[in-house]
Amino acid sequence: MLVLSDFLILGAVLFCLSVAGMFLNRKNMLIILMCIELMLLSVNMNFIAFSHFNADIAGQIFVFFILTVAAAESAIGLAILIVLFRNRGTINIEDLDSMKG
Amino acid sequence: MIEKYIFYFFAAILIFAATRVITVKNPVHAALFLVLGFFSSAAIWMLLHAEFLAIALIVVYVGAVMVLFLFVVMMLDINITVVREGFVRYFPVAMLVGIIILIEMGLVLWNANAGLASPEAINAFANSELPNTEVLGNALYTVYVYPFEIAAAILLVAMVAAIALTMREKRQHKYIPPEKQVFVKREDRVRLVKMAAEPKD
Amino acid sequence: MDFSFNSAELFVLLPEIMLLTLASLVLVIDAYVPDNARNFTYQLSQGSLIATMLGVFASMPQQTTYAMSGTYVSDPMAAILKIAILAVVFFAFVYSRSYLRDRNFFRGEYYVLGLFATLGMMIMVSASNLLTIYLGLELLSLSMYAMVAMHRDSKPATEAAMKYFVLGAIASGMLLYGMSIIYGATGTLDLATLATTATSSGENVQMLMFGLVFLIVGLAFKFGAVPFHNWMPDVYEGSPTAVTLFIASAPKIAAFAMLIRLLVDGLIGLKSGMAGDVESVYLGWQGMLIILAVLSMVLGNLVAIAQTNIKRMFAYSTISHVGFLFMGALTATETGYAASMFYAITYAIMSSAGFGMIILLSREGFEAENISDFKGLNERSPWYAFLMMVTVLSMAGVPPMVGFWAKLAVLNEVIQAGFLWVAIVAAIFSVIGAFYYLRVVKAIYFDKPEEGAAELIINEDKSLQTALSVNGLAILGLGFFPSALLTICTAALVS
Repeated sequence: MLVLSDFLILGAVLFCLSVAGMFLNRKNMLIILMCIELMLLSVNMNFIAFSHFNADIAGQIFVFFILTVAAAESAIGLAILIVLFRNRGTINIEDLDSMKG
Repeated sequence: MIEKYIFYFFAAILIFAATRVITVKNPVHAALFLVLGFFSSAAIWMLLHAEFLAIALIVVYVGAVMVLFLFVVMMLDINITVVREGFVRYFPVAMLVGIIILIEMGLVLWNANAGLASPEAINAFANSELPNTEVLGNALYTVYVYPFEIAAAILLVAMVAAIALTMREKRQHKYIPPEKQVFVKREDRVRLVKMAAEPKD
Repeated sequence: MDFSFNSAELFVLLPEIMLLTLASLVLVIDAYVPDNARNFTYQLSQGSLIATMLGVFASMPQQTTYAMSGTYVSDPMAAILKIAILAVVFFAFVYSRSYLRDRNFFRGEYYVLGLFATLGMMIMVSASNLLTIYLGLELLSLSMYAMVAMHRDSKPATEAAMKYFVLGAIASGMLLYGMSIIYGATGTLDLATLATTATSSGENVQMLMFGLVFLIVGLAFKFGAVPFHNWMPDVYEGSPTAVTLFIASAPKIAAFAMLIRLLVDGLIGLKSGMAGDVESVYLGWQGMLIILAVLSMVLGNLVAIAQTNIKRMFAYSTISHVGFLFMGALTATETGYAASMFYAITYAIMSSAGFGMIILLSREGFEAENISDFKGLNERSPWYAFLMMVTVLSMAGVPPMVGFWAKLAVLNEVIQAGFLWVAIVAAIFSVIGAFYYLRVVKAIYFDKPEEGAAELIINEDKSLQTALSVNGLAILGLGFFPSALLTICTAALVS
């Protein structure tokens, strides 16, 4: 029988992979954007599992909105990425050093 | 019992795909592995009787968002070797951080029992008379109608922002309408100027 | 949660409905406005803000009212914060007009996105459900990312936008993870229900605390509290000054509201650990806020001293102000929240005056963003030199400016709540912080402009000058009559 913690651990693994991915690919904005998608996927996994085991629809409603917002978010993120690429010819985040501090 | 095997099968694929997303060299491959990850998540959500969201994940995410990602990956001319610099250097740190967080999260979540609902209630909820889409719709357009309206505003903002950021006005071409060009005469273009000869110095 | 609806509820939502309608209208009309008449879009946007403010007054609630099946709450705090947000945004728009026009990105989308960001702030202020908070926050954040990147040909601006976006998205992810765990442990998204079900004496206390940690990390990221502050100086410096002004002022008021809604309206049961005695205070969100507040005040003030760029300096000073904001909230008393609210509004007013001054002295091709650019301002214009002095001294907390009263109110509450050591740390680092503010005053009054430095030219836009004078005088005026605003804040929060 599947229990709640199976899904939560899966969510936690995804969450950690996305955090590790941001560490690993700190030079590549595209992969970082994909890591953000992974992080949201782990949250969605949590919400759906809780929704099922709490017998409550609200969790699924939340996922519905996270999917909507994530789509909007990646549209804006990619738009900014394109503007950045046009200006600098790179998407390397460590090249972003025109500011000091 | 079969559910358990289905879950572990898809969970393994999902974790494999997620690992490849963050380690693979080529961003196109990363995007495709992410697609694989979304497909396996959708299968797991099916197990949890969230049919509508499972389908929406594939239609909205794989169908729209990931295609957008692929478009951008192919549009930008990325130098992969530069982008990959430091990967090996950060690898041990990233793994360490990831594993530590995972162990900490695992300790809390291992025995998680949100289970406010009884097994009977869960069963009744999962196998209710109404299909999942209808249950979701009933809640969405009644109790959650205010968030629904806000989501509309968010999508509008995304549209306005993406267009405002990336659309470029047409460049100022020196474009000559052909229907006017054919009537051009020599006198319109060539002008002979009389000048006094300049002395050589 | 049960569904209930009657059309009278729509009247409670009047401000949000008006702003959404008017913003959409501005968007459509702007598409037909020729480039040389862009001023019309600006006037329409300002009109929308004023109309919405009238809407807030018209629907002012007598007591706490829930609407839309409990996803929306209207209470005195919400009404006051909305008025403050709308007023600050109004001023931010005035300041931005000549800046955008001179730099050739005076575009309708800027104002449309600004209006939608304002709508997001109002939604956050009136949220009474985790879902509404999240959606309001995203509406605000997405508009702001785009506004930062709006100056498309500027390299620093696009870099700042990318950093802001990535860090903002990670923060949202953390916040969401926390929300998911809290939802799982309690089975509800409704903040009023959470207040009764999420307690540190219940069964699921381990899960709840686990979720709370993620929630606080997400909040700290959004506020820019140490150690989650790294994005802030870069974003403040890289963004066009008009946008920096926007993101540094009104959104802080909204962030304060989010803090109160989440932690006080929703998770008040988790303010301290299980036992409920003094030591257990450090186990709940009070303890987490103490750590964030102390670190922010220490690091913000120390690093600000080393800055030569005034926008970066303001960024670090913001970090230390965030520390003060948290201090009022961590008392977990109603008067403490009121002091924090007073601080948030005061900060937004000071911050818009500070950045407004940079805009006043900048022109195309020259940004007055170094402290040395302010040298000799007094000889150029004694009036604006005086206003700038009032602003920075208020930020430093020198009496009789309003910033002093705000700091005093917060410190008083912290001592009352029994956190004497936190108050002492705050006081010490405020004094250290006064040093870098005084450096600006010294540059204005006692330094001669450097050889070959660009000449200071006051922007001639009359509305900008008037707004800046009003803003500076407000700092001084509120300083003489601080009780006017403080009484309103106290009345809104203390039942």
